[in-house]
Amino acid sequence: MKKYWKSLEELKDIQAGPETLPEPLPEFSIEGLTEEEVSNKIKSNRRDFLKTLGFSIGLAAAASSCEVPVRKAIPYLNNPEEAKPGMSLHYASTFFDGHDFCPVVVKVREGRPIKVEGNELSHITCGGTSARVQASVLNLYDSARQKHPMKNGEVAGWQQVDDEIMEKLREIAGNEGRIVILSSSVVSPSTLKVFEDFKAKYPTTEVFYYDPVSYSAIRMANKSTFDKPAIPSYRFDKAEVIVGFNCDFLGSWLSPIEFAKQYAKTREIGEDKQTMSKHYQFESYMSLTGSNADKRVAIKPSDEITVMLNLYNKIAEKSDMPLFDAAPSPVNIDEVAEDLFNHQGKSLVVSGTNDIYIQAVVNAINFLLANLGGTYNFERTLNTKKGCDQKMAKLVDDMEAGEINALILYNVNPAYDYFDVQKFTDAVKKVGLTIAISEVNDETARLAEYVCPDHHYLESWNDAEPYTGMFSLSQPTIRSLFETRQGQESLLKWAGLEPNYLEYIKKYWEENLFDKQDQYLTFHDFWIHTLQNGIYELEAETKTCPLYDFEFLGVNANELKPQKPEGLELVLYEKIGIGSGKQANNPWLQELPDPISKAVWDNYVAISPKYARENGLTQEDLVKVNGSFELPILYQPGQPYGTVSIAIGYGRQHGGKVANGLGKNVYAFSKLVNGSRQFNKGSVTLEKTGEKYPIATTQTYHSMEGRPLIRETVLDKWKADPASGNELHAINEKKRVTLYKKPVYEGFHWGLSVDLNKCIGCSACVTACQAENNIAVIGKEEVKNRRIMHWIRIDRYYSTAEPDRQGPEDIHRIEPDNPEVVHQPVMCQHCDNAPCENVCPVAATPHSKEGLNQMAYNRCIGTRYCMNNCPYRVRRFNWYRYVTNDKFDYNFNEELSRMVLNPDVTVRERGVVEKCSFCIQRIQEKKLDAKKEGRLLKDGEIKPACVQSCPTKALVFGDMNNADTMVARDMENPRMYNLLEELHTLASVGYLTKVRNKEAGHEHDDHHA
Amino acid sequence: MRKKIFIIPVFFVFFLFSLIDTSAQNVAPPEWQQCMACHALGKKLIGPDLVGITDRRSEEWIYKFIRNSQEMIQAGDPIAVQVWEEHNKIPMTNFDFTDDQIKGILDFIKAYDPSQPVEIAQAPTTVSDTVEKAETAEEAELDQFLYKHEKYGPGNTRPTFIVFLILLIIAVADLAFIKFIRAHFIHYIVILVSIFVMGEIVYVEAKALGRQEGYSPDQPVWFSHKVHAGQNHIDCLYCHSTAMESKSAGIPGINVCMNCHNVVKSGKITGTEEIAKVVEAWNTGKPIEWVRVHNLPDHVFFSHAQHVNAGKRQCQECHGPVEKMDRIVQVENLGMGWCIHCHRRTPVQFKENSFYQEYTRFKEKMESGEMSRVTVDDIGGNNCQTCHY
Repeated sequence: MKKYWKSLEELKDIQAGPETLPEPLPEFSIEGLTEEEVSNKIKSNRRDFLKTLGFSIGLAAAASSCEVPVRKAIPYLNNPEEAKPGMSLHYASTFFDGHDFCPVVVKVREGRPIKVEGNELSHITCGGTSARVQASVLNLYDSARQKHPMKNGEVAGWQQVDDEIMEKLREIAGNEGRIVILSSSVVSPSTLKVFEDFKAKYPTTEVFYYDPVSYSAIRMANKSTFDKPAIPSYRFDKAEVIVGFNCDFLGSWLSPIEFAKQYAKTREIGEDKQTMSKHYQFESYMSLTGSNADKRVAIKPSDEITVMLNLYNKIAEKSDMPLFDAAPSPVNIDEVAEDLFNHQGKSLVVSGTNDIYIQAVVNAINFLLANLGGTYNFERTLNTKKGCDQKMAKLVDDMEAGEINALILYNVNPAYDYFDVQKFTDAVKKVGLTIAISEVNDETARLAEYVCPDHHYLESWNDAEPYTGMFSLSQPTIRSLFETRQGQESLLKWAGLEPNYLEYIKKYWEENLFDKQDQYLTFHDFWIHTLQNGIYELEAETKTCPLYDFEFLGVNANELKPQKPEGLELVLYEKIGIGSGKQANNPWLQELPDPISKAVWDNYVAISPKYARENGLTQEDLVKVNGSFELPILYQPGQPYGTVSIAIGYGRQHGGKVANGLGKNVYAFSKLVNGSRQFNKGSVTLEKTGEKYPIATTQTYHSMEGRPLIRETVLDKWKADPASGNELHAINEKKRVTLYKKPVYEGFHWGLSVDLNKCIGCSACVTACQAENNIAVIGKEEVKNRRIMHWIRIDRYYSTAEPDRQGPEDIHRIEPDNPEVVHQPVMCQHCDNAPCENVCPVAATPHSKEGLNQMAYNRCIGTRYCMNNCPYRVRRFNWYRYVTNDKFDYNFNEELSRMVLNPDVTVRERGVVEKCSFCIQRIQEKKLDAKKEGRLLKDGEIKPACVQSCPTKALVFGDMNNADTMVARDMENPRMYNLLEELHTLASVGYLTKVRNKEAGHEHDDHHA
Repeated sequence: MRKKIFIIPVFFVFFLFSLIDTSAQNVAPPEWQQCMACHALGKKLIGPDLVGITDRRSEEWIYKFIRNSQEMIQAGDPIAVQVWEEHNKIPMTNFDFTDDQIKGILDFIKAYDPSQPVEIAQAPTTVSDTVEKAETAEEAELDQFLYKHEKYGPGNTRPTFIVFLILLIIAVADLAFIKFIRAHFIHYIVILVSIFVMGEIVYVEAKALGRQEGYSPDQPVWFSHKVHAGQNHIDCLYCHSTAMESKSAGIPGINVCMNCHNVVKSGKITGTEEIAKVVEAWNTGKPIEWVRVHNLPDHVFFSHAQHVNAGKRQCQECHGPVEKMDRIVQVENLGMGWCIHCHRRTPVQFKENSFYQEYTRFKEKMESGEMSRVTVDDIGGNNCQTCHY
């Protein structure tokens, strides 16, 4: 029997036994004070009461004599054909910020873009999004954006800036001086042509690409071993065995939305699909991907090459291929090798380590397994990562030597994310002319002489070719808010060309892409239709599979020896929300709980609990890292012994009011090793300062009290009995006896099903919900007070085998070193027999005729009885007025940021309870659409924000009354269960059991893996 | 304030039919009303003369142009561009007519006999039916309503309140200190009655807080719905064009006004003064700031499309006889009780709209005769989150 726990504290309580369980913490304390403090604070007397009474009567009298304010209705002067007040327009566009790529559809209301959804026509993402893509719309209304062109920190006009820059560039080019454009990765073919045109005007121009999180080793390795310097297409959907080495392909690696979609396809099971991929993960920190693996093995980063070589040798032995010397593997890999060998051509091995040799071994394994051309192919190559670390390092050297005369920094921020910031900063000062094309006056832009503010992507025209032959377009959805100009137009202007990027793109498409299709006769038709779809995809060219060149590894056999650093090994990783730190000023992302640690607003030193205990470090201890800066300790089950991990993307100095000063910048710990920038080659020393630093986490908010909220099984058992692991459901169904009549729903009965097998915990739904439903950001202090406002949360449970009731002295025997993880999204369950409804004294939360648990904010008087009576803890209380309140200085207190608010959803006042509504505004909208057209509502037509954002389609929404809908079929699935169904709440949200692809009976020795 | 205006027949050039004697031979389809705003038969108005249009252009071309002329112009159709340029580049409004509807219009044009007057066939959603017949009874009702709301607000109850307050104070004082009247039951009756009457007044007044029944503010332009919708029979949806599809009925942009007022520069009542304001707004680019009459609180999500399109409600059911009002007045209180009451007694378009087929049990009951109608309330129209979310 498995035991589930949310935190180590809880595990300790479980081990100690129920009789010693502590009193549960008060769920909601007033302003974080204790009960005694509160009673002292709110003591009042008769005089106060009378004063208040008199004042209120006076106020009421005054209010009643007030005139109703006159409201104006101002129509358009010339109403544009498509603009209809009260209706939203959708424009296809493309999100790419140099780091993440996603084709999107932008929802625009009354001229304001308010929501970003995935573009379902794209074959790359199929409508999936990520938290960062969802949050990108808020960046448009960020007050930190650069609003005017600047020269030496002073506001200047475009005319002046352009004239001076062109004059200087002409002079430099005339003297044969070097001009460098340092750009983030560019996927736009038109932009590449702009660079070419710029070069034509100034022939001494060179273009360098720089990615803070670089993938250059993959290209280098592919060049050395396959003679193809490119990033291939990885096809996780075709793989039956997936092996990842330090590779967070579901969360941050290369193209996570795409890979999540592919991965989920292999995890889907049902009557007609009885197979499921098997996923092994070897990793040095608890990543989102690792948390989803069937078998996760914690290894030290320095052991990665050894494990991999052993794996290679095991497979090579069986296929009579050359072997390489390798130290014995620290972990058992027989099972993995066997599995891989048995799935030749249907397996995939990936590594996230940016090291040419590791990538070369990965290529060798994939080659041996005949995965080339299948799960690993060069038919289309990925263009989103172009940065070259070696060239960048050389450029900084050249700059330092004073050899660069002009530097155009285009959408890059090396003064924050380069590994040697000091060197870069000094080097920039030696460049004659420095120009920054940037959206924000960030760390790098501040070093430049000229700052030329760029449009946000929602204000820009652009095109993109993320994979060879797969194109998409971006179009502006709002006129530029500030005095900004698109970067490409700036370059065109300086190149002496017409600065009209739209015409430029159209010309490029007419010349290069129009001929490749025969669907449309005129270019106008082609352009209009492509723009409307946002997507244009060419057939992939079939290419012959390259052969692996074993010579490269043979020659470099010495480099394959593991290099063990002294002391604690350090792993740097990207968080799901913050990523590389580019969007660090986005409060939605800062308040997005990390899917694993559930921490918000900070980065920290994640450390293995065993190591920490042995070295006297406790949770939230402030430690000095390498003697340079201080970070708190966080116990992270699954972190390998002797290693620590810290997230990049924090410690911004000039990112904006939200980002500045949060956490610490650890980019300096990355190293240039073997010609590429690596994030897990460092080592650290930790020094206890004796102080504590509280970390705000949401994980211990809601106690499980040992109830079976998670039900899981393994594949073989599921095949034998689809209801395996879910036996309780049948028992509970039998016990369902009630005196009351079963509620009857005419027409619709809305329901939602959650497939725990497909949910990877990526949290896109959390941010999507926040954007759709105007949910407030409340800041770290309030999160610590357990008041987070998210309507959907993703509960993360660790699990280990049931400890036999042991005394505290045995505690190390069940050390939770490498637990299994389950992610479970929890939103309002819309119970048909809802405990919250009948305790409301003012009937503010009644049940609807369509099975929804409604919340009428205007009736709510804030007694919070409903919150106390809700067994799922999904109701949220507005402890403060978060809107227009400068004490919550995030996004709700600014006129500009409030432009993102959804006009279809009420902005809640202080003192009312709120919760998930199943996106009632969308239900109403789609029902009306069907009525207008006089037709039946289609299944899947209504998509709440969480359902629409999900990259893995783990959530399904629909009408449970109609047996043909997907959700009704899910509800009949033997895997289906409701949370706390024994309480007879009759929830409308059903969960499908998690099925792991592993041997039955393994549960008992899991924690030793 | 109410202005009494004697109805003078107002002739607008584009209402050709009103010039001719009323013994109709040319029966136009209801859609023709929308065409009439810009087109005439036998002469050019804002749009071209339509006589013989079917000979000049192919049917396919006409269908396309009616549905989306701008697309054709942008696509570079030579005839479309020529027509557009000949008519001062005023774009034609797009009409989402069905093939049959367009065919009806074209047939009517083809068969048009200039010697005979035009009669418009009955259309279910146009104002004309209600306008023509309502006549005296409704006019009298409106008069009465406006009289009642001569003063802003639902009548003055303050004197009554003060009288009963004084009575109450006297009764209490006499009971406690003065003791002039021996029979105490009189005191008690006075006190109870006063409290009841005052409570009633407070209750009624409190309920009316924020309500604007009878609200009829002055508008920046003296615009008369009576002239436009009543006498000239312009369809409500011609100006409030989004009422069929959007939450908001939409206040027309000045470009819609200019469709006609490019030509019509003077009105019979206000002369050139008021129309000049519209033209000036168009020329200066400063839109007119109308005063909003019908306001709902921000937490109410009301959809015109739901009521006008799906529910097939007449505009007048909520807005009153607009076509008789020179200045718009709010005739209903727009309170929640008023909404709920209507939802309880109004049937939905159960048989007409196949959306409701989803309600299978209701469908069976309707077929078996067990239910004669399905009201809005039956399908959840009175749930909180129908309007509040």
